[in-house]
Amino acid sequence: MEDTFSEKESLDLIRQMIDTAKNNLQQGTGKVFLLWGYLVAGISLATTILLITLPGDNRYYAYYLWFLMAFGAPFHYLLIRKMERERLVMTYIDKMMRWVWIAFTVSILTVVIGLVLSSLLIYPALSAAKATDDFARLFQWIFMPGSAGAYQPVDQFHFWFQWLFIPPFMLCLYGIALFITGKAYGFRPLYLGGIICWGSVLLLLVTIHHPYVLEIQQIFLCFCAITGYVIPGHLLRKKEGSDVARA
Amino acid sequence: MLPELDPLLHSQLRLAVMSILIGSPEADFVYLRKTTGATAGNLSVQIEKLREAGYITVEKSFRGKMPRTTCRITPTGIKAFETYVEALQDYLPK
Repeated sequence: MEDTFSEKESLDLIRQMIDTAKNNLQQGTGKVFLLWGYLVAGISLATTILLITLPGDNRYYAYYLWFLMAFGAPFHYLLIRKMERERLVMTYIDKMMRWVWIAFTVSILTVVIGLVLSSLLIYPALSAAKATDDFARLFQWIFMPGSAGAYQPVDQFHFWFQWLFIPPFMLCLYGIALFITGKAYGFRPLYLGGIICWGSVLLLLVTIHHPYVLEIQQIFLCFCAITGYVIPGHLLRKKEGSDVARA
Repeated sequence: MLPELDPLLHSQLRLAVMSILIGSPEADFVYLRKTTGATAGNLSVQIEKLREAGYITVEKSFRGKMPRTTCRITPTGIKAFETYVEALQDYLPK
């Protein structure tokens, strides 16, 4: 580069250099979307099949399949570690989006951990204990103050009903994260995926009293995972070969 | 009277580096070299001048076994860049 230049050239150079760091998604992002997209799509599909085929109250055990999501974490860690090693530049948008996805993950984990504690530990423990037990009384006092002394074991539906609101809630979070990321990086498939998630939330809430609501929810989760993660993930992988920042 | 342009920034390569770092809070040496099209030697010299002026920080680390140099703009650098751009606008025809 020449060392003497005019003021106009100077401004042009600034504009040109700022444009080079425009917000491209980092190389490897597509793989992260594919990992979680296929995992959610696969699990929701398998859950749908089990919900249909398992007899009686046993069908609710289909939801245990969602614990398989934890297997995504080590692969996610490896992918992110590789991306960080290969990163050559970090834009302000990259930094902001990192916090958006951290907030997304924390929101999901908080809700899931809360529900797991509620439906798999506390409620069954209460159900198993006699109402006269001190243990049951204590938990009733903490978690169900209105029912103290009158606790009756409940059926399987009451162990699981709170999960009914989880798919719409999760899809709402998916929608937020996908829409913001898509708009920030100007990548249309991502923000369209986010809009599809929001549309699905509306449908899931409208159909919440439908007799097949559980199956409908899982099918929509699968659909949204494909439209919001798998398809954009493949498109990103294709794009990475051309203009995604190799950094 | 027209304001004086910061001589440290009124150099094509140094200004290019600072412009990149204004848009991206951190950038690797390799990225800066590819984006500016400069030679490694020239870029090293100019980066060192910016570092000495306190406009950027330079961190050397390892990516696996490969050495890595990461540049970040400092608040002093941001201020200098803003002042430079403001001064530059006075030179352009209104």
